[in-house]
Amino acid sequence: MFEQLAEMLAHLGGKRIVVLSIGEFSMRFDLVATITTWAVMLVLVLLALYLRRGLRQEIEEKPNRIQATLDLLIDLLRKQLTSNFASERLAQEMFPFISTLFLYVLLCNWVSMIPYVESPTADANVTLGLALLVLVMSHVLAIRMKGGKKYIHGFIEPYPFMLPLNIMGELAKPISHGFRLFGNVFAGSVLIAVVTAKFAPVIVPPALNLFFSLLMGGIQAFVFAMLAVAYINVAVES
Amino acid sequence: MLQEAQSVVSQISGADIATAAKYLAAGFVMGIGAIGSAIGEGNVAAHALDGMARQPEMEGALMRTMIVGQAITESTGIYSLLVAIVLLFVV
Repeated sequence: MFEQLAEMLAHLGGKRIVVLSIGEFSMRFDLVATITTWAVMLVLVLLALYLRRGLRQEIEEKPNRIQATLDLLIDLLRKQLTSNFASERLAQEMFPFISTLFLYVLLCNWVSMIPYVESPTADANVTLGLALLVLVMSHVLAIRMKGGKKYIHGFIEPYPFMLPLNIMGELAKPISHGFRLFGNVFAGSVLIAVVTAKFAPVIVPPALNLFFSLLMGGIQAFVFAMLAVAYINVAVES
Repeated sequence: MLQEAQSVVSQISGADIATAAKYLAAGFVMGIGAIGSAIGEGNVAAHALDGMARQPEMEGALMRTMIVGQAITESTGIYSLLVAIVLLFVV
């Protein structure tokens, strides 16, 4: 029984690796995750382009339906995602980035509800890449807002001998940030696979899928965006 | 009886014991690792609920902070999951 289970779990993370080599460099792509992430991006971009057509720049007496709905949704996103920023200006500036991150992770989590599609966030490479994006963003913002001298000085605070500790702390952030999302989504898919294959293949899996994909996927996307906000805040403030 | 047991024991190889230990260790890591984060997340929720009961107008902000706090508390559980995955598939 254990061997069967192990075999099944090994298939769960089955990867199709494509190696692209240019001269001496070779890059390895996970085909499934790459295609899924690009499909998610395509859906988001097409949805944005489609919804944009109904929008009006000037304020009207009676907005059309798309305008009213989007106003409501964007207001909700703005209130939930950016109210933790340190300053109003930073919140204004970072809202597109944070909301895009949120919507992308949300759709990546929800895509696993389509049969035979695995959510790309169950792949550690995707989540760690997103976490690195947030890390680079926070440091670029910190340099821009505080200036290079003050930014470098931030690493030797409160004492110069704390420098290695500070650098380690900065490097630990994206690792815990990325693995948090990966762990949650992957654990959900493992649980669904085990229950489906071993115990109850009929009614229980859809309910589990609903819980892990819809509910936990939404919460984890929110948490990912909120932690990005927190990291950017800390980098800009201190 | 004793001889039978001895013959069974002699059939078990070191690799079998290593495999069994791997599965056992993965189960223990996940089970024990989940205790801490479960208690921690319960604490966070309890105190957030306290705050909400005292100041219902703060509910939105408390809810947001609670979810982020729980996510951070969860990291120990996630790390134990990673250790379990490494034990199962890598070691």
